[in-house]
Amino acid sequence: MNRYLPLVLIAFGILAFATLMLVIAPGIQMAQRTVPEGLRPYSEQESRGRKQYVSLGCVYCHSQQPRSPDQAPDVERGWGRPSVAGDYVFDRPHQLGTMRTGPDLLNVGVRLPSESWHLTHLYQPRAIFGWSIMPAYPYLFEEKAEAGPEDTVVVLPEGFGPESGVVVARPEALDLTAYLLALDRTYPIPEDALRDDGYARKESGS
Amino acid sequence: MTRTSKQTASRNVKPGEDFEPWESHNRVPLLVIWIALALGVWGTALLFQDQSSYSVAQGERAADEVAAHDAPEGGAALFLANCSTCHQPNGVGVRLAVPPLQDSEFAKAGPEVVAQIMLRGIDGPIRVKGFTFDGHMPSFAAALDDDEVAQLASYVAGRFGGADATLGRDQVGELRDAHAGSGSWQGGAELAGLVPGLPTQPAMPAMAQAGPDPAISDLIFAGKGDVWSCASCHGGLGQGAESTPRLAGLSQGYIVKQLRDFRAGERQNEQMSFVAKELSDFEIEGVATYYAGLRVDSTARPALGGDLARGERIALQGDWSLGVPACFSCHGPSGFGVGADFPALAAQQPAYLASQLAAWAGGHRNNSPLGLMDRISRALPESDRRAVADYLASLPAVPAVEQKAMARIEGGGDEL
Repeated sequence: MNRYLPLVLIAFGILAFATLMLVIAPGIQMAQRTVPEGLRPYSEQESRGRKQYVSLGCVYCHSQQPRSPDQAPDVERGWGRPSVAGDYVFDRPHQLGTMRTGPDLLNVGVRLPSESWHLTHLYQPRAIFGWSIMPAYPYLFEEKAEAGPEDTVVVLPEGFGPESGVVVARPEALDLTAYLLALDRTYPIPEDALRDDGYARKESGS
Repeated sequence: MTRTSKQTASRNVKPGEDFEPWESHNRVPLLVIWIALALGVWGTALLFQDQSSYSVAQGERAADEVAAHDAPEGGAALFLANCSTCHQPNGVGVRLAVPPLQDSEFAKAGPEVVAQIMLRGIDGPIRVKGFTFDGHMPSFAAALDDDEVAQLASYVAGRFGGADATLGRDQVGELRDAHAGSGSWQGGAELAGLVPGLPTQPAMPAMAQAGPDPAISDLIFAGKGDVWSCASCHGGLGQGAESTPRLAGLSQGYIVKQLRDFRAGERQNEQMSFVAKELSDFEIEGVATYYAGLRVDSTARPALGGDLARGERIALQGDWSLGVPACFSCHGPSGFGVGADFPALAAQQPAYLASQLAAWAGGHRNNSPLGLMDRISRALPESDRRAVADYLASLPAVPAVEQKAMARIEGGGDEL
């Protein structure tokens, strides 16, 4: 072990190569991405909702990255087309997630465009799905004896609401719902899209 | 010393400390080289042979398609490409949905009238050969140039109306200028001014048509105390999105049956059960009538990465090697839907269609009459389910059917 100079040089070379391929090249590729046509920045309310999404830890159970048909039947589940890098330009920090305890949410605003559905579901998921294991978020709502003119009343079946009075959404719930409804990446994949096609073979050419 | 003792002696000599085993260079046997070369040649030849069989198959398929269409040219080719999906290749149309061209009063009126209809499209009720149709014909002004319109109009008027006259490109140009920006023909009533001697045409319904009952309208657009509104998920015009189905143009009987099945638990979907169990029979009927009468352009696009050619084959011809009949043999030509049991498929959201096929195959949906769809869905592999869903999503939307005619058909036993 006395030829340490070539050893150091080779080790450095390997590290440099890895850095080039895994950090610098993807960085250059990403920097060239433009905002896809059809994607708009989040509004102020949606951004507040996004903060709620982050702070409530939705990412621990919900991914935001539909896979291509050869990897998972996501399109058939209605979760939307496989996502591309450009879909996340406004997402800082991204909420890609790795767990799929619940469904993917990148296109939930298209699949479930009903604000009142989301409010019911956030207040008590088991009001809709008896088998749901999603936590309820009652602290995003408040109970009132009577709804004011500005209030958004939550639709609840018998047995899930308070004995008397109504459940109305707090601003936090409305912000979060606005963010969920804004999740829409169903526009066509941009021409210059950067994506991992996995093992996919183009089926249309056959 | 004998030879044997010599060998024994050399074996006893210990190799030196610096001994390195070595082997002299030997030539690779010629036989091995030849085998390797032969394998290489064989592989390359197979590669090319494979490619040529691809191109042969492609050629055969193209030849098939041409043969099926009897090598059409000019007007005939344009007719097959643009008109036959709805008016059918033999021009007889689709009962209750698409007017016939064969012997129609409008085709008989000559190529000029046909060209004017093609340039503007038709919206609203029209009476052809004794039957009233209330559909939507798109304008072809942007899709075809003057020459193509002239060829097509002459072909249609000649083949189906027996007209001798043909139309020139310049005449089409004049018609195009004359009708530029005038929108679609407002049903047969407006066309009556163009074609003399037409039978009485139904009047165009006023724009402020009597809407649904206010209670139904509230339910659709605002919801009730204990249910969300229909429109909040299915869209203001019932167009659906992703796994939420398109409702516009589904038959009334079909929507009523599905809502009752959701209510009774015979079709499973937690969200629709939540809604349906709060609905009365009156509300179910009202909502179904509303959506059955809606005419909305398609918002569905192929999105599942399916093979459209394969999907078209399944929809039009089925695949008897799998025991799957053509979709259109039951669901009607172009997937317009037939009665209460066979819903319209054209322009349905692909993710919804694929998810329903998967649900039937997996036994999560089983309210199909006679279990027809259960067996068909199980026979289709996953890629075919995506292919057919994508193909159906690429079709134009269902024209609305006149409610009374529909009710008569569903009642059964009418001369229609």
